[in-house]
Amino acid sequence: MEVLSSRKQRRGIGLDPRTTIVLLLMVAVFVLGGAGGNELIWARIILACVPVVLLLTSNNKLKCIVFVLVYLLGYFLQFYVLGHLTGILNSLMLATAGMITSFLPGLMMGYYAVSTTTVSEFVAAMERIHMPEQVIIPLSVMFRFFPTVVEEAGSINDAMRMRGIAMGGKHPGKMLEYRLIPIMTCSVKIGEELSAASLTRGLGAPVKRTNICKIGFGLWDILFLGLSICIVIYWVLILIGVRV
Amino acid sequence: MIRLENVHFQYGDENENNGALHDINLEIPSGQAVLFCGESGCGKTTITRLINGLIPHFYEGRLTGKIRVDGQEIQSQELYDTAKIVGTVFQNPRSQFFNVDTRSEVAFGLENQGIREAEILKRVNQTVTEFQMESLMDRSIFELSGGEKQKIACACVSTSSPEVFVLDEPSANLDVHSMKLLHNMILRWKQQGKTIVIAEHRLAYIWNLIDRVIFLESGKIAKDMQPAEFLKLSETELHSMGLRSNNEQKISKMHKATDIKNIEFKDITFGYKKGKQILDISKIQIPEHEITAIIGHNGLGKSTFLRCICGLEKKCKTRMIKNGAMIKRKKCLAECFLVMQDVNHQLFTESVLDEVLISMEQEDKEKAQEILAELDLLEYAGRHPISLSGGQKQRVAVATAIASERDILLFDEPTSGLDYKHMLQVSAIFQKLKAKGKTIIVVTHDMEFIEAISANIIELNTNSVKNYAQKEFREEVDCNEKEKLPAEVI
Amino acid sequence: MSTKKDSSNKLQGKDLMNVGIYSAIYFVIVFAVAMLGYIPIMMPMLCVLVPLIAGVPFMLFLTKVKKFGMIWIMSIIMGILMLLTGMAQYALIIGAFSGLIAELIYKSGNYKSQSKAVLTCGVFSIWVWGNFIPLFFKRESYWAARQSFGEDYINTLNSLMPIWLCPILLAAAFVFGILGGLLGKTLLKKHFKKAGIA
Repeated sequence: MEVLSSRKQRRGIGLDPRTTIVLLLMVAVFVLGGAGGNELIWARIILACVPVVLLLTSNNKLKCIVFVLVYLLGYFLQFYVLGHLTGILNSLMLATAGMITSFLPGLMMGYYAVSTTTVSEFVAAMERIHMPEQVIIPLSVMFRFFPTVVEEAGSINDAMRMRGIAMGGKHPGKMLEYRLIPIMTCSVKIGEELSAASLTRGLGAPVKRTNICKIGFGLWDILFLGLSICIVIYWVLILIGVRV
Repeated sequence: MIRLENVHFQYGDENENNGALHDINLEIPSGQAVLFCGESGCGKTTITRLINGLIPHFYEGRLTGKIRVDGQEIQSQELYDTAKIVGTVFQNPRSQFFNVDTRSEVAFGLENQGIREAEILKRVNQTVTEFQMESLMDRSIFELSGGEKQKIACACVSTSSPEVFVLDEPSANLDVHSMKLLHNMILRWKQQGKTIVIAEHRLAYIWNLIDRVIFLESGKIAKDMQPAEFLKLSETELHSMGLRSNNEQKISKMHKATDIKNIEFKDITFGYKKGKQILDISKIQIPEHEITAIIGHNGLGKSTFLRCICGLEKKCKTRMIKNGAMIKRKKCLAECFLVMQDVNHQLFTESVLDEVLISMEQEDKEKAQEILAELDLLEYAGRHPISLSGGQKQRVAVATAIASERDILLFDEPTSGLDYKHMLQVSAIFQKLKAKGKTIIVVTHDMEFIEAISANIIELNTNSVKNYAQKEFREEVDCNEKEKLPAEVI
Repeated sequence: MSTKKDSSNKLQGKDLMNVGIYSAIYFVIVFAVAMLGYIPIMMPMLCVLVPLIAGVPFMLFLTKVKKFGMIWIMSIIMGILMLLTGMAQYALIIGAFSGLIAELIYKSGNYKSQSKAVLTCGVFSIWVWGNFIPLFFKRESYWAARQSFGEDYINTLNSLMPIWLCPILLAAAFVFGILGGLLGKTLLKKHFKKAGIA
């Protein structure tokens, strides 16, 4: 389990983390969030392809192919199979397929972002856009800590399976408590050790932090940023009522 | 270099005497390597925290007296300033890294000081060559073994080149080979003339590095002596002080492996992503109603092995053959019980008694109390499991296993970080379980513990297992060990 | 959003780390609960369930809050996460305000008062409601991107969420936030105090 990546060789075309964040936002706002409504369908299609391109160029070809296949399956279900079903089954399946097709690009973009950006690069990027330290530290700690919380939850789940305590068992009302409390106590303990360790290494000193990872814009960054800017301008034009 | 004057400290809770310190007066000159030892709760970790400033800046409590490091008063100095003169390696490799990739982590301390990039890179490279760890660079912290993580942790501290190195039980999760690596790192610092403070109770690997031994007893300095003096103490004396043996190997009683019934596990295979096979064992036999210790070096997948055996690992199609009957993975879960390395994961309820009750098929209070009494837990029946000590928690987990009537009990490193007294407690529990007819499989690095429980030993490799009767194993380890450990140790 | 107070009250590394750690715990729990929103009937119920359950980690977080800014930053972080997970910008906007108010309420109790803590939890929870704004006011464009969910799903959801439900959900987020705070307070007493982490 890891959320933020560790290795440089997986980076593919090597986008600057700032570009990655912009693209993530674009996909989130336009593809998942549906900003711009029907007028921006073209932008949505282009943006949905961006993570495919990115994943293909990085070393995640297999994952990319799986993603695309699942996506196509969702599409196929929607248009060819579901017209023939009826009732509640149909609408549930349709909703599932719909979720897949609308969430998958975001998921892929998110996967690309976290698997190619290291904590350190993320921090560097945030510093470049002059995010205050009060937001950078919590955000980076949070991303670093997600896998730990999920890992803890997994271990607790294992322990419950082993004990034969399942949801809806003998004390259904208490199950939530029994699950929630250990997740929190275990995570908090690890978190405390993590902060202690980071502080003894000087985190939070009132000097300007330096960063050894090199970030900067390249050709690909300019291309993707240009694309994003075009879409945003088009969107703004629609918003203020100019017909293009 | 380090000076503690009339230091008293007590953690937040008034009644909690664990880790408190009383009347500590101490001076450690520059370049000295000092070992702090004593039973769990004697306050050795507290001393390390006083020196690196975590007390009073992170852990709160009542502190009086003065602590000076390099002339600076730690209490009134911010942690990030103390960080420049004191570097710390912690016990738990899982929770001491801020970054996920190793290179950034090694540079992290210097980045926080705002040192120029070029300078940082130079110093990082220097450290990497010095400790020969090129192969560990640009990798994910998550894929390193315990020993490798501890190596990175040492390198992290080393790059900032502080004057004082503080190590808080750094070997708790390490095998013999990794301890040797750790030994070499510390040796390096010693050669550079750094001041070193180590809190430990596994003594074997650091003897030849130490200039001074300070023995703590319930928060007070009980003995302050030269290592030569300390080495003269006999094993029994060490044990009575709660310390582990200063010598990893001893001749053992021969374990009689008479003709016993075996439980057989088949097809223990497990691969991670990227197709790398971690475990590929076609067959392993575990004697029934006996204690079996699984050993093998750090990072081999011993914990995964246990997860496969008890059926927790969904991707692993292990089958168990017991009394001639084949048992599939899901059914294995009902036969086995794994006491995890971090027992906190398996305690859910608000009282020890409840914890046992929910594990029973039919809740039976009397029987539950019987089980608790057997494990010396009856007096804690009403306590919240989380409020217990580590060893007590472990016993609660064992109690739930007995309550759920499992026959096969698995333990993952039950003695990591335990002092002698507590290790013996665990071993006593094992003997009780064995007397009850349980089959026990334990993964451990702790040779002294294996000795105490007189277990059968199985050495695990990626695709093979090797069985030893205990005596021949000892001999084999003896000759291996002699190569691995510096001569002075033996 | 920086907190330029006098230096003794300034947020330190320890506080910022705590914000990050508790945000992670809080968000994982919120996310797990929010998965239920997949079932149409549960969607409006999220304004009840999320504040109720998330109240537990939040109350634990409040025991670590001693300086101005921690609650506010966490609120903004939740907004940022919502933005990144495709729930649009409204939670961020609402959260920036509700988080600040929550912060001020807890501060008025000197970061100690238990009843203020419960009230803080209620106000903080309003960010959850922010996610529902597009469902009410931007229905057309919200569903434009989700045409593929199927007419039935959309109609079901729309019929489950008439416009008058909007203020009710706001009230629900607040009220159940308070209930979550009370639940958290109870569990805190029952478990965490004894565990020595609260």
